[in-house]
Amino acid sequence: MGAATNFTIWWRPGAPCSLCVEAITHGDNFSQHTGVRKIVINNNKKNMKELFINDFKVIFPELFLIIATIVLLIYGVIYSTKISENGTKPAILIRNTTWLGLITIIITGLLIINNPIKNTIFFYNCLVIDELSTLLKILVLVSTAVSIIISLEYFKQEKINSFEIIILILLSCSSMLLMLSSYDFISMYLTIELQSLSFYVLAASKRDSEFSTEAGLKYFILGAFSSGILLFGCSMVYGFTGITNFEELAKIFCNIECLQSDLPVVKLGILFLAVGFLFKLTAVPFHMWAPDVYEGAPTFITAFFAITPKIAILGLFLKLFLFSFYDFLFPWQQIILICSVSSMILASLAALSQRKIKRLLAYSSIGHMGYILMGVSCGSLEGIQAVIIYLVVYVIMTMNVFASVLSLRSNKAVFITDLRLLSKTNPMLAINLTLILFSMAGIPPLAGFCSKFYLFFTALGSSLYITALIGVLTSVISCFYYIRLVKIMYFENDARVGPSATRGLAYEPMDREKSLIIAITFFFVLFFFIYPYPLFLVSHKVALSFML
Amino acid sequence: MQVKFISLCVILFLLGIWGIFLNRKNIIIMLMSIELMLLAVNLNFVIFSVYLDDMIGQLFALLVLTVAAAESAIGLALLVVYYRIRGTIAVEYINLVKG
Repeated sequence: MGAATNFTIWWRPGAPCSLCVEAITHGDNFSQHTGVRKIVINNNKKNMKELFINDFKVIFPELFLIIATIVLLIYGVIYSTKISENGTKPAILIRNTTWLGLITIIITGLLIINNPIKNTIFFYNCLVIDELSTLLKILVLVSTAVSIIISLEYFKQEKINSFEIIILILLSCSSMLLMLSSYDFISMYLTIELQSLSFYVLAASKRDSEFSTEAGLKYFILGAFSSGILLFGCSMVYGFTGITNFEELAKIFCNIECLQSDLPVVKLGILFLAVGFLFKLTAVPFHMWAPDVYEGAPTFITAFFAITPKIAILGLFLKLFLFSFYDFLFPWQQIILICSVSSMILASLAALSQRKIKRLLAYSSIGHMGYILMGVSCGSLEGIQAVIIYLVVYVIMTMNVFASVLSLRSNKAVFITDLRLLSKTNPMLAINLTLILFSMAGIPPLAGFCSKFYLFFTALGSSLYITALIGVLTSVISCFYYIRLVKIMYFENDARVGPSATRGLAYEPMDREKSLIIAITFFFVLFFFIYPYPLFLVSHKVALSFML
Repeated sequence: MQVKFISLCVILFLLGIWGIFLNRKNIIIMLMSIELMLLAVNLNFVIFSVYLDDMIGQLFALLVLTVAAAESAIGLALLVVYYRIRGTIAVEYINLVKG
């Protein structure tokens, strides 16, 4: 079996180069593992062996996570339905399932960090591992772990006894890991769907609450709609290129001139793909589901929604648009810029009139997405670096904010005026929340300022002057609603509303896990500016390996 | 020749989108519209697959079919949960969270 015969059957464009890549990654066995399906059929037996020798080693962390999730599910199903003979009720499994899920996530993280293969394409060009996906996978795992940890106390207070929530969180986490690895339209669509299907159920997980079920239904309809649009974009690009693989797409678009007749339809497909992704990222013309879902879902699920999926979808978005569609930079740059500017403006204006904490945070996250999209639309190496830094800082700030919100008494603190007596009842938490809100508003020298500064600097470097100006202006406007929260915490202690209001809410002491999370993230946000180099170095390395 | 087929698919897809946005009555119609969208895309994939003489389109269509089935199952489950609490599935009453 020589490589020469392969070349004769090969008809896909851009193939020889990908053969070289395969040859590098798989040693001298490359002729059997080329990604062309016609050859695969001929050497089926040998290829299956190859699959087990090479590919399963690379996918091992994800495989472990999925298998552990299924084992946890079986454990839960068996023990929660088992009624013992003396008639006691079935066991409540939420606490030990939570801890087991946490351990699973930690082990998966260790496996990903220690994965010996750092850079390869596997499973017949369907999945890939590179620096970007490894970094973002670790971030996804950390944020999932944090959102599980901060919900421990919530489970106890609200008496939520369904262990399925943890299973669903683990499933969506594994789908997000695969999403960051996906390298083909098929794997992309399947992982996005697995993630969204888990999320629809999670949003409606409080089955006896009107708000939660309504949020689930809304999320389902708009999420399914956006998946349909994404899929339509995939079909258009596939129909006019015959390709579903990201790398081959990048290669076929390298010389656009010879495809001139098909270009409008491919551009249409890219437009549909962009709209689908912007729906999932909650950028502004497509944001309408986000505040409703964030408000309606239970708070710990809102924390999970706000922190985690953005990372995964943004990673995929970067890979697809800055790698595969890089030669269409100018058409899609305009779309992304419009969405970025409008989400910055609309989020900062709409958040001014919000009276509920979770809606306010939803609009704030929409605004942050606007800033991140500004970095994406730069289309340069510094742009990617700025996006990664901003993403890391945003994720850490959001973790802290949601941990703080959850440590207010969870079912009562709905309106922002409920923060009123916080400076008296829990001064430490009030100081923490104040500094985090300052950081989100971008006040120096906190972490939020560093990331925003770098992002605006990059935008100026890519001569997006007006966008950067609008970014600075909207960040000034958004200072208002962040600082309003601080004012409510410290200065509305209030004689004027009367005795009924001065009672305020009795805040309970927070549990140790949550306080640890708050302390670590607070430390990061406060002292990031002293030693920011590790993050800068890692993000620069990722951006370099991504662009070169 | 190709254009006719694509226009059929696009018309079906747009009917699905219109069904979601112009429908003011019933959520089940929305679920059906979502199915219509996915099936239109499926048809698109199959036609392109035949046109390009490439298997991947048909593979994609099969996978989309299974995902669509799972999606409608979850949609109906959410609908049942919602109906149990609110006692209605009219679109105009889904306005508890807004602002």
